[in-house]
Amino acid sequence: MKNTPKKTSDSSDIILEVRDLVQVFNGRAVLNGLNFKVRRGETFIIMGGSGCGKTTLLRILIGAQKPTSGSVHLFGQDITQLDPESLDKIRLRFGMNFQFGALFQSMTVGENIALPLQEHSRVDPSLIEMVVKMKLELVGLTGFENFKPSEISGGMRKRVGLARALALDPELLFSDEPTSGLDPVMTAVVDQLTLDSTRKIGVTAVVVSHDMTSAFRIATRMLMLGSGPRQGEIVAEGTPQEIRDNPDPFLQQFIRGEADGPIPFRLSQDDYLKHLLGDG
Amino acid sequence: MKFLVRLLRRNEGKGYWVLNARIYSFLLWGLTNPKVLSPGSTLSQMLRIGVQALPMASLVALSVGFILAMQASTELGKLGADSFIPDLVSLSLMRELGPLLIAIIVVGRSGSAVTAEIGTMKVNEEIEALRVMAISPVRYLVVPRYLALVIMLPILTIFGNCIGLAGGWAVCAGTLDMPTSFYIKHAVDRPELWDLYSGLIKSVVFAHIIITIACHQGLNVEDGAQGVGRATTNSVVFSILWIIISDAILTGLFFFVS
Repeated sequence: MKNTPKKTSDSSDIILEVRDLVQVFNGRAVLNGLNFKVRRGETFIIMGGSGCGKTTLLRILIGAQKPTSGSVHLFGQDITQLDPESLDKIRLRFGMNFQFGALFQSMTVGENIALPLQEHSRVDPSLIEMVVKMKLELVGLTGFENFKPSEISGGMRKRVGLARALALDPELLFSDEPTSGLDPVMTAVVDQLTLDSTRKIGVTAVVVSHDMTSAFRIATRMLMLGSGPRQGEIVAEGTPQEIRDNPDPFLQQFIRGEADGPIPFRLSQDDYLKHLLGDG
Repeated sequence: MKFLVRLLRRNEGKGYWVLNARIYSFLLWGLTNPKVLSPGSTLSQMLRIGVQALPMASLVALSVGFILAMQASTELGKLGADSFIPDLVSLSLMRELGPLLIAIIVVGRSGSAVTAEIGTMKVNEEIEALRVMAISPVRYLVVPRYLALVIMLPILTIFGNCIGLAGGWAVCAGTLDMPTSFYIKHAVDRPELWDLYSGLIKSVVFAHIIITIACHQGLNVEDGAQGVGRATTNSVVFSILWIIISDAILTGLFFFVS
């Protein structure tokens, strides 16, 4: 009986839980039995090399793709089993910051941010205008309401994408490679914005990234997905310090960004022969 | 209606008929909740798809009026039946050429643009962004375009018929010395109301074909820029093909009905 309250508190603390998640494409398991949890208030980084399945995992987490098997519990509900109507209700509780912003090119920056508010709230247009200004101020783009996405830089587009993702004040923010292609200063700016969202507003963040500097700067917990021979499995999970101290050579090669190591760059000699002969 | 929308969303796939059913379910839902139909967006699409097509549609209709009157004057003149030229121009335009040619102009101008626009949005993850924001792309993008074209194509057709009749009049008055009052009387009196209606029914059916094919092709774009090009070509080719087939079916139907 003593454990019951603690158990309840623990489970209510978990905002996202992935259980035995498998995704197979053309007979190849891209994700192979993943299990992890994200707690409220965390900044959880999912990292891994190119082609390790990070984006596939993110698409499954936001309900854009059904997994081959396994479940994703978001706010306590298994979204893999939900009908689209119920999934939409869940989607109102999280925001998604796409890798390239996915801004509506035909709309202005202000209209992009206002769209979720116009569609899902019944507030006065003047109030929506005010919220747009507040969100733009949050991402340091005051005065850019009337610019088209094509008239601003890549870094600005990413920040507008973040502002749009935060428009409905979500509990959870998913972010796909928020710093890829940005210069070091802009990377630091975007990282600071993510930190502001989590620390000041209290948003839980799940960020997919392979930018190690950025990841260590903002993470409270990290997860490393394997590639090559360890494709689809979790190589390591823990706090930034635990990840740094983890002796796994696969993980260390990735952190240090070294060309030589267990992460395969090319096929092994045997696999290469099989590939050439059409056997593999 | 919400129940129908829910049921169809559960069966959401890439199918053309599912898209049709979803459009209808939103239209029915819109009867009780007009916000679903995005009136502002529908009006702006009416302007883009319909009003901006007026100059091109007018030019085509005027040319067709000219051609019809000139061709008819050659053959009917041999029989001394020049006085039937206004009847022929008017009937041909209302029943057949007006709806068909204006629809083909709209396929090339607006159908292809809708496919390219929605296809590019798909490639740029804008469609996925809508879904993630719990906004149905069918409701937000397709329904306003559907309503706009279904309203504007019959209006464009009526406008085109008038311009075509003016083209026929220019030939009759300029080369055959036919009095304007005679031309107007025959061009207006000869067709029955059903002739006008049959043309308008055709233009509504053509509008449905154009916009559903255009949106379906756009929403199912794959393979980046190449896919957008392929979808746009498919949209134009399939639309024209189905417009002509449905025209033959409707003409046959109207022939037996009347």
